[in-house]
Amino acid sequence: MSSEMTPTQQTDNALVFEELHYRVEGATLLSEASGRFEAGRIHAILGQNGAGKSTLLRCLTKERPASSGRVVLAGHDLQSLSYRELALRRAVLPQNPSLVFAFQVEQLVGLGFDVQHWSSDSRAIAMQAILQACDLVHLAKRDYLSLSGGEQQRAHLARVLAQIWPKNPDTSQAFAGKWLFLDEWSDGLDLKHQVRLSALLRQWVKQGLSVVMILHDLNQIMQWADDCMMLKQGRVFTYGSVPEVMTPENIESVLGVSVRVLQSEDSVSTMIFPQLS
Amino acid sequence: MTAALRMSLLSIILVSVMVLSLQSGSVNLSLIDFWTGLSEQQSLVFWEIRMPRIVMAALVGAGLAVSGVALQALFRNPLAEPGLIGVSSGAALGAVMVIVLGGALWGEVLSWQMSLSAFALAAGVTLLIYLIATSKGHTDVALMLLAGVAINAVAGALTGLLISVSSDVQLRSVIFWMMGSLSGVSWDGIALLGSVTLLALAVLYRLRHPLNALLLGEQSCLHMGYAVQSLKWQVMTASAVLVGVSVALVGIIGFVGLMVPHMVRLWVGPDHRQLIPLSALGGALLLVSADWLARSVVQPAELPIGLLMALLGGPFFLLMLLKRREVGV
Repeated sequence: MSSEMTPTQQTDNALVFEELHYRVEGATLLSEASGRFEAGRIHAILGQNGAGKSTLLRCLTKERPASSGRVVLAGHDLQSLSYRELALRRAVLPQNPSLVFAFQVEQLVGLGFDVQHWSSDSRAIAMQAILQACDLVHLAKRDYLSLSGGEQQRAHLARVLAQIWPKNPDTSQAFAGKWLFLDEWSDGLDLKHQVRLSALLRQWVKQGLSVVMILHDLNQIMQWADDCMMLKQGRVFTYGSVPEVMTPENIESVLGVSVRVLQSEDSVSTMIFPQLS
Repeated sequence: MTAALRMSLLSIILVSVMVLSLQSGSVNLSLIDFWTGLSEQQSLVFWEIRMPRIVMAALVGAGLAVSGVALQALFRNPLAEPGLIGVSSGAALGAVMVIVLGGALWGEVLSWQMSLSAFALAAGVTLLIYLIATSKGHTDVALMLLAGVAINAVAGALTGLLISVSSDVQLRSVIFWMMGSLSGVSWDGIALLGSVTLLALAVLYRLRHPLNALLLGEQSCLHMGYAVQSLKWQVMTASAVLVGVSVALVGIIGFVGLMVPHMVRLWVGPDHRQLIPLSALGGALLLVSADWLARSVVQPAELPIGLLMALLGGPFFLLMLLKRREVGV
């Protein structure tokens, strides 16, 4: 799965973080977190509740400045990038996005295009493509508050996509330089939409998109991610490609649950089960 | 219907109601008189009583409705309203402080002094409620409304205290004004309110995109590239200016900021590109109509407009609460 890149390309495109510390009110939520997320891949972050996953995501998206350490996105120190510049490079889907105002789905997605200052002409085609991707075409005129939880989640995902949607999405590197940060995006989505959207994410990643997602489901990580970073008590426990790091030993150390790994007969897919003892 | 069409429609209705309201009152004054030339008395009534009053009603209505829009975006909740969360009574306390204390200290009190003091306290209350009810970018609605109850009580008590130590002359002006009244409006007051209302409206309209993003939460607003901190300061200041100056000039008129944005949202949705201008027009229309009603129902006397709006707005608020219980948001 790992794609070969020249060293210069790596320095240019990757998201690099060094020695991140995050302290708040005496508690250390993140310490000595370093890593390097290569562009054009899907990175999963795994860990127990309170292991620092969301905190790391906040530091990487400049939502909260780390107490110390630095983050470099595609060669730019995060501190030197304005929020406006950042918004054009990356979009963030937080956990449990809340909204109590009755936007139509189409209007909500439009807020993403507003960030890019797109004229209404250039929107129409992209809007259709995004609504189609998130299976929202039939809900386009519906009021957000009348949607089910999963539909609302898809509407937010569509809005986030609109924020970084390229002008020519059909070219081979259309999504190069764009990053997507997703905090438990698949929660509340039914299986059909999980499969559909993860396949589309993979397609956009092939076109250069970089994705960082927090996931709890081990099998989702196996199926969707290229690399996985495991966090334990605010520290990076291990990081590497999914087949390398998703071992029963690592998982047990990080999650405190012993697991069994089963290969399917054709050894195409791997299933991880918690061992009930 | 396009945005421009909606705005034109509301503008036409507003102007028509203003024209109708101008003709109504104890002194006869019709469009025909206007055509054939006004008598001296009619001219005086027209230029010094009715016209300023109706223009003031429009300005106050527009300002209060838009301040509601601003506060609702700030608190991300459609129930945030300057009267309910104590901003108006804070402003009233500021104004009474100047009437009573200023009256004792330096004699004649000017409307800009009352406005400034009312603005300062309105801004203080907004900030206080925000600090109490909002943490980590999320507003606790119950806390916001309860804090509003507490601030209304304290500001009301302090205002009462000031009234009890005031002289008879001051007392009359305080009470008259506390019920919310559009009589005795001056062109100076209109110039003051007109300029700050236009300014605040322009500031808020310029912020229409970030305000839309703010409805998604501070987190998402930041991720969408908008400067959340400065946005919040501008929204708080603009809404406090609107409430402070209008309370200083005409007293507390409640529920405009609750009803108008709510109805406009039902009509066009929550997008601030349309919500701000349409709420301004809708607020003007509501208060001009309410003022007309207040002057017509008990002729030759008149209902204080603040009382009338409370009579209309209270049940409306209850309905919104019930609706909220149904959908659970």
